[in-house]
Amino acid sequence: MRTSSLYRRHGYNDLVRNKTANVALLVILIISAFLMATGAMVMARSFGAVNALFDQALPPHFLQMHTGTYDAVALAEFASAHPEIDSWLIEDMLGYDGAAISWQRPTTGESGDLSASLIDNLFVTQNEAFDFLVDDSGTVVQPAPGEVHVPVAYMQDFALQPGDEVTIRTGSGSHGLTVAGFVRDSQMASSLSSATRFLVSEHDFRELAISGGGDPEIIVEYRLAEASSASQFQSAYESDGALPKNGQAVTLQMIRLINAFSDGLVAMALVLVSCLLMGIALLSLRFVIRGTLEDEVREIGVMKAIGLPHRAISGLYMSKYSAMTLVACLLGGVLAVIATRLLTRNVQVNYAEAPVGLTTFLVPGAALLLVFLLVIAMCRGVFRSIRRVEVVGALVQGSTLDERQTARRARRQAHRARRVNLGSTTGGDVNRRLALLDLRADAGQWALIPLVFALTAILLILPTNLLTTFSSPRFVTYMGAPESDLRVDLQFSAAVDSQHQRLLSDMRADGRIIDVKDFAKVLRQTRGEQGWETLRVEVGDYSGASIEFVDGGPPGTGQIALSAINAQQYRLSVGEMMPIRTSSGEATNDVVVSGIYQDVTSGGRTAKMQGNVSGGALGYVLYADVAEGIDPAAIAREYNDAHPDAAVIPMREYAKQTLSYVTGAFGSAAALACLFGVGVAVLITCLFLRLRLTREQTRMGVLAAIGFSSREIASQVRLKVLLATGVGTLLGVVVAATVGEALVAAAISLTGVGVTRLHFIPNPWLVYFFYPLLLMGAAHACAIALTSRLRSADKSAWLRK
Amino acid sequence: MTKAMKDMTPTPVMLDAQGVTKSYLSTDPPTPVLNGVDLRVHAGEFLVVMGASGSGKSTLLHCISGMDRPTSGTVALEGRDLTSLSDKEMSRVRLTRMGFVFQQGYFLQNLNVRDNILLPALKAAPRDTTVAIRRVDALMEQFGIAHIRDHGTTEVSGGQLQRASICRALASEPAVLFVDEPTGALNSSMSTDVMDALTHVHTGGTSVVMVTHDPVCAVRGDRVIYLRDGRLVDSLELGTWSQTHAMQRHGGLQGWLGNHGF
Repeated sequence: MRTSSLYRRHGYNDLVRNKTANVALLVILIISAFLMATGAMVMARSFGAVNALFDQALPPHFLQMHTGTYDAVALAEFASAHPEIDSWLIEDMLGYDGAAISWQRPTTGESGDLSASLIDNLFVTQNEAFDFLVDDSGTVVQPAPGEVHVPVAYMQDFALQPGDEVTIRTGSGSHGLTVAGFVRDSQMASSLSSATRFLVSEHDFRELAISGGGDPEIIVEYRLAEASSASQFQSAYESDGALPKNGQAVTLQMIRLINAFSDGLVAMALVLVSCLLMGIALLSLRFVIRGTLEDEVREIGVMKAIGLPHRAISGLYMSKYSAMTLVACLLGGVLAVIATRLLTRNVQVNYAEAPVGLTTFLVPGAALLLVFLLVIAMCRGVFRSIRRVEVVGALVQGSTLDERQTARRARRQAHRARRVNLGSTTGGDVNRRLALLDLRADAGQWALIPLVFALTAILLILPTNLLTTFSSPRFVTYMGAPESDLRVDLQFSAAVDSQHQRLLSDMRADGRIIDVKDFAKVLRQTRGEQGWETLRVEVGDYSGASIEFVDGGPPGTGQIALSAINAQQYRLSVGEMMPIRTSSGEATNDVVVSGIYQDVTSGGRTAKMQGNVSGGALGYVLYADVAEGIDPAAIAREYNDAHPDAAVIPMREYAKQTLSYVTGAFGSAAALACLFGVGVAVLITCLFLRLRLTREQTRMGVLAAIGFSSREIASQVRLKVLLATGVGTLLGVVVAATVGEALVAAAISLTGVGVTRLHFIPNPWLVYFFYPLLLMGAAHACAIALTSRLRSADKSAWLRK
Repeated sequence: MTKAMKDMTPTPVMLDAQGVTKSYLSTDPPTPVLNGVDLRVHAGEFLVVMGASGSGKSTLLHCISGMDRPTSGTVALEGRDLTSLSDKEMSRVRLTRMGFVFQQGYFLQNLNVRDNILLPALKAAPRDTTVAIRRVDALMEQFGIAHIRDHGTTEVSGGQLQRASICRALASEPAVLFVDEPTGALNSSMSTDVMDALTHVHTGGTSVVMVTHDPVCAVRGDRVIYLRDGRLVDSLELGTWSQTHAMQRHGGLQGWLGNHGF
């Protein structure tokens, strides 16, 4: 008989004999392989989709937003002076408030408006050279007069369909358009983006401009010969005082980062989840294999006695585990393909269909290969102990240990037993005391359960903590904003100062609004590596603003607070001096860095100074709270109507919409982690208990003979499970709250989005009460289910083994 | 009451098993192990169960001690039907009225020798710890193992362990002691020690039901029954053990066993 067929038969017989344990193991391995492959595929597809859209839409390498007049000649001169520019354009845009855009469906009579959207709605025409808006097939769309192509995100958010009619409220009435399709926008696809673009024909754009009601804005966009030189190019642009720059400046790297951030985070969360599950799977596998070796030590002894080398004996067992791992990897891979389709549906809709290439197969293939190799390496490690099994020890004692190990174990047991004195312990139930003693003595064998539950608790808590942190109203403190109920933005216009004064006096006079904080957005310059660079500064009174600083505090007179990314860029820390001058290049002042805060808005590059700006600001931002019992959303609606130039938004809604992709991604990760985490914990507890109960039959038989009832024996097991899972869960909660938080914060700070020191904002009831309760409850239910069979068991059989 | 009158007084039945059958259903077809065994054990009697391997001796011991339920038939201890008791009630009976001594000793390895012995006593009377400890210490003294009280169960000899096993069985003052091959794993000197201990227990008034292969052990019993293929085929009355008649009893037993091809 060929060896391979012998291995196969042995493996098959073993699979059939221990069906339940093997099925449980297989399921755990499948889940590990599935999540590992899914994480890898989501990552590859997310980046693939973003890249595919970038290939189709050709986003700018550098762009500068601007409101108001600008010097077109200066732009042309700048372009001709910089040969690194491949091509450039000025895109005209008309911005409308969501409430000014309504829709109707002629076929059904349904209607609505876009007022729920808090971002800027910009109407544009198709560009000629680059930065195209493309449809779902990647085609550069050219709308006919009367047609509008709506941002694809609105298709999901407002359930819009082709054929719907869109009406824009203009200064002189309204302008009607028909939805001809949906467009993907390479630079404004992410929910972190503060605006989105609607595509119309040249004719309709002119009509809208003539009708008024929209806020004209421009984006100056550049494609460079070398995309990597965008940062230097930005410095050159910003150091030229004649160029328009009162809006946000963005590089391709930032666009890519913002686009990849949310889906990259879900992939990261999946990889984290799969790594933890992999750890759990390896631990359980190790436990099962060691258990199998102990149970089958006599067979191993016989094989050794007839002269089979240990390599051949290991081979018999390895064949089974290799086959199981291979099946798990294949099934996990197939399931991952389906799951990835579901998880990346959002990416596919907003970006592009990721092209199928070598990486499509290589990345998940490498992940699955890693799973396979890890499992096989672990199995080989455990099976190496077969070499140490002695024939006599195996056949006579039924032990995998050699004589010396047996003696050592006996000494340890005796030493432990000598320290115990049942008689001296007064009070307490004997049954409970026995369970505790047993658990303490066999801690090594029970270690699997606390380890698994610690890892599972981490698995459940980390994604949930990320979700609650990013969806907490307090997260605005990571957006460089104080905690408040309302945020008001006033963009630059010729009348911005008067609008600001009117708005401020209205708000201060309104008894429903309290604690109005007023900040002016101005441009200043500071010395960078490339000379004087533009710095966006919010000036106002920070003495009472509840902004959280990772270092230092709010700025006083003659001080400046920097966003973490700016502090990093200019290599400044608290107490150091920073040269500042106005954008017109007047006398330089040295200001002291008072504090560093985290900000994910404006590419994370902001600054704050104490003072008053009487005029000439680029815009204003105001924060305010509302009196108790007042609905911030109602106030926002009212002020938006009364001050059409201002964007008044309830802060909670603003944070929710801005981070909707991220929170959606974390929501999926948290749900997946919860489902698989609890599932795997239940499977492992059942597997462990099943093997443990078989191993403890003699002990249970002795207790039954002494006079312990089945209920008491079962309650000992349940108590041990409860304690083991309790210790593990507690450990997991502590690790997740300390080391876990630090690790996740480090990973997020590496993304470069402006969060350098993340502190979880957990939902304490959920993570410190419900999850531990869920885990321990699930484990207890397993213990009840498995020990309930003890009552009907034949106690004498326990002693016949 | 005169000695003659005392001898004539019928000894009450301690254990009464009627029509006990046991089949293991896990095999296909089911394996019959006991086939209608009727057995009575009187109070204070030392009954020895003998038979070839596979005759059903240990299964009979498990069935009449309530460790296993017979497939059919009844078992009564002191007039109480064990087969109808709930698991909890049966456990209570095992705890307070029965003691067990096994061939392998079967100790909880995480407890020392004394705590293993103490366990049933503590379980039976959790509020009376002092009395239980005093009783266990006295038993250990009596059986010559007081010096190993704090030892782990892996540190003592097989003979000491088996005497500890007897002490544990006696800790809750049982009415009947079930003993399964107590000397199977011991050398002759240790076997003698263990059998002396069991004889001592019996002379103290405790009923003993012992399964053994060894005629040297069996000779200690008052009565020996013989099982073959799950049936009780014969019984031999040996009378009360005395060392002076040991050789004579042994000869008689050997002859009787010889008749059964043992």
